[in-house]
Amino acid sequence: MPEQLTAPGPRPAVLVYRHPGTPAAVLRQVCAGVEEEGVPTDVTEVPGPDDATALAHAAAAESRLSVGIGLDAAGAAAVHHGTLPEGAPVVATPARALPSDWRRVGRVAARVVKHLPLV
Amino acid sequence: MGAHEGGPPEGLLVVGVDIGNSTTEACLAVVAPDGSITYLGTDLTRTTGVKGTPDNTEGALKAIRGALARAGRSAGQVETVLLNEATPVISGLAMETITETIITESTMIGHNPTTPGGEGLGVGTTRSIGELGEQQPGEPVVCVVPHGWDFDDVAATLNAAVAAGVDVVAAILAGDDAVLVTNRLTRPIPVVDEVSAVEKVPLGMLAAVEVAAPGRTIRTLSNSYGLATVFDLDPVQTRQVSPVARALTGNRSAVVVRTPTGDVTDRRIPVGELVLHGAGKTLRVDVDAGAEAIMEVVGRAQPLDDARGEPGTHVGGMLAQVRDTMADVMDVAGQPDVPPSEIAIRDVLAVDTFVPAEVRGGLAGEVALENAVALAAMVRTSRSRMQLVADLVSEGLGAAAEIGGVEGEMAVGGALTTPGVDRPIAVLDLGGGSTDAALLTREGECTAVHVAGAGELVTKLIDSELALGDREVAEGVKWYPLGKVESFFHLRHEDGTVEFVNEPLPPHVFARVVVLTPDGPAPVPTRHGLDHVRRVRREAKRRVFVVNALRALRQVAPGGNLRALEFVVLLGGSALDFEIPDMIADALAPHGIVCGTGNVLGTEGPRNAVASGLVRAHAALVAEEARCRSS
Repeated sequence: MPEQLTAPGPRPAVLVYRHPGTPAAVLRQVCAGVEEEGVPTDVTEVPGPDDATALAHAAAAESRLSVGIGLDAAGAAAVHHGTLPEGAPVVATPARALPSDWRRVGRVAARVVKHLPLV
Repeated sequence: MGAHEGGPPEGLLVVGVDIGNSTTEACLAVVAPDGSITYLGTDLTRTTGVKGTPDNTEGALKAIRGALARAGRSAGQVETVLLNEATPVISGLAMETITETIITESTMIGHNPTTPGGEGLGVGTTRSIGELGEQQPGEPVVCVVPHGWDFDDVAATLNAAVAAGVDVVAAILAGDDAVLVTNRLTRPIPVVDEVSAVEKVPLGMLAAVEVAAPGRTIRTLSNSYGLATVFDLDPVQTRQVSPVARALTGNRSAVVVRTPTGDVTDRRIPVGELVLHGAGKTLRVDVDAGAEAIMEVVGRAQPLDDARGEPGTHVGGMLAQVRDTMADVMDVAGQPDVPPSEIAIRDVLAVDTFVPAEVRGGLAGEVALENAVALAAMVRTSRSRMQLVADLVSEGLGAAAEIGGVEGEMAVGGALTTPGVDRPIAVLDLGGGSTDAALLTREGECTAVHVAGAGELVTKLIDSELALGDREVAEGVKWYPLGKVESFFHLRHEDGTVEFVNEPLPPHVFARVVVLTPDGPAPVPTRHGLDHVRRVRREAKRRVFVVNALRALRQVAPGGNLRALEFVVLLGGSALDFEIPDMIADALAPHGIVCGTGNVLGTEGPRNAVASGLVRAHAALVAEEARCRSS
């Protein structure tokens, strides 16, 4: 084995930035949506801005896959890509949504990574 | 055309107007007393109403006024409006599947969920997840999970059953949870998900579940002998299940449940015979035999007097439908209706096609490709009402209007204004309903033919073969090149070139096959790749336009010999297509023919041939009269 020259960076994953107040059910379904597509997620709790799109944009900027998900305290969700302007997320769902909508948020994020149509 | 030095040209102002199936074109010119022509302007608008009916007046007036406005002339200055005698053909289309896959009992789930779980083959008895606790150890079980079960609960229940000694070998899920469940299992099994009608899966029956690795297709359930091995079938039963194997070919996952009476039947619907009357003969051909055999018989019955289908069969129904539509179009208020039985079909184009149709009795919206035949048929009518349109135009414009000539001959005349052509010249008018050819010999003789099948049939083939179910989308696929959106900022064109865009592409086109319309990329709703969509598009165009170009030209060519033709000029809306002219030129090249898209008046492209041909014909008459006077 060659010697490790640099510390391993964070693994390639969809980064999920969640507000501490994000409902657990939302987080669970969003992550399940990503997992069903076979893509890894890393969840980080981010105190501070309570805005799904801003969180998603920050997560996408940090993600080695350039894809991030933001979840706010009320349960609103957004998916962002590192190349997109902050005001134009890939998808955003309001706070009062169905579990199937949360699942879809995760699926869309994974499908951006996999370059598949966003269904 | 354009500004004329030294004041306006002397002579009389005439307008040629061509009312086509989809567009109405006008050509404004001054014809001098010696017959020389100065073109002043052209215009193009949508045809109003069905071609050859009084509704056309509005569009005709609009085109005339448009051309006048461009040339800075007023309607009062117009001496004569020349209208085309509409080609007396109407065409109709019909399509019918000739095979059908029906599952008489629920025996197969052959859909392709995007994310099945696990891999391998599991064979066992179907049991609902709710009954798993009561299951005796030992017997292999395929677990069926209805809607409403959470993936964590499913995994926990399966793990508990396995721990208790139940031999769970596979699972069938209603929701999209296969990967989530498999990731949580202690013992890996193949899992098929997104089975919408999971409640119809029969319980207590022997079932096989197969999931292939990503990028692979199933091997056992798509093989008749694989099914025979799994279910211990005798040769008779194996024959019965072979349609199942065929329906599952190419899938990444599948479920087959053996029910006592269940089998999938591959039923062939009696299509019937097409009866062709022509050339003093009556010829019969089974539509089953396919397009090639039909067209061979149609060729032997030329010129066709009529075509009929056996009543009570598909082809009978198809032609009756075409006849009914045409009878409606030909009906004139104030005159007795045209009985459909009196409408004679004068040409037929048959095209083999396939239609993705939902398998009847499937549990997950399975689709099987069914063979189908598309027929385009054409009738000649004796009832042209262009004179009525001319009268109405005359009234609306306050100028004389007359029928200036027959379409085919006028088109040739207009085509002769294309730079670089000479007699003998043949034109191919690639329209919406019919493909028309006309030949003008060196001696000035003109012959014209019309054959069934053109742009509308291409759209229909694209629509059904890609299962788009939307004519507008199919039109888009026909008209515009394809691309694939590869990221939010770049798209790959169908020729492989990659274009970077400065504004991000919208999410609804992300990773999709798109048509590149002038308004931006529009998604094609299909799971097929770009290459498949492109192949369907090009094949549809080839089967209609290349086949018809050769068919129509052979009918006008002296002795049916294409080598006797020299210049072929492509006209009409479909001559503006980005690939049809090239496809026809390729097909004609071996015959030593110069073929290309027309450029009427050197400026109008394949448009305006008939309208400017009308002006030319009129000018020729003026010149003739001048000669008579002087001699």
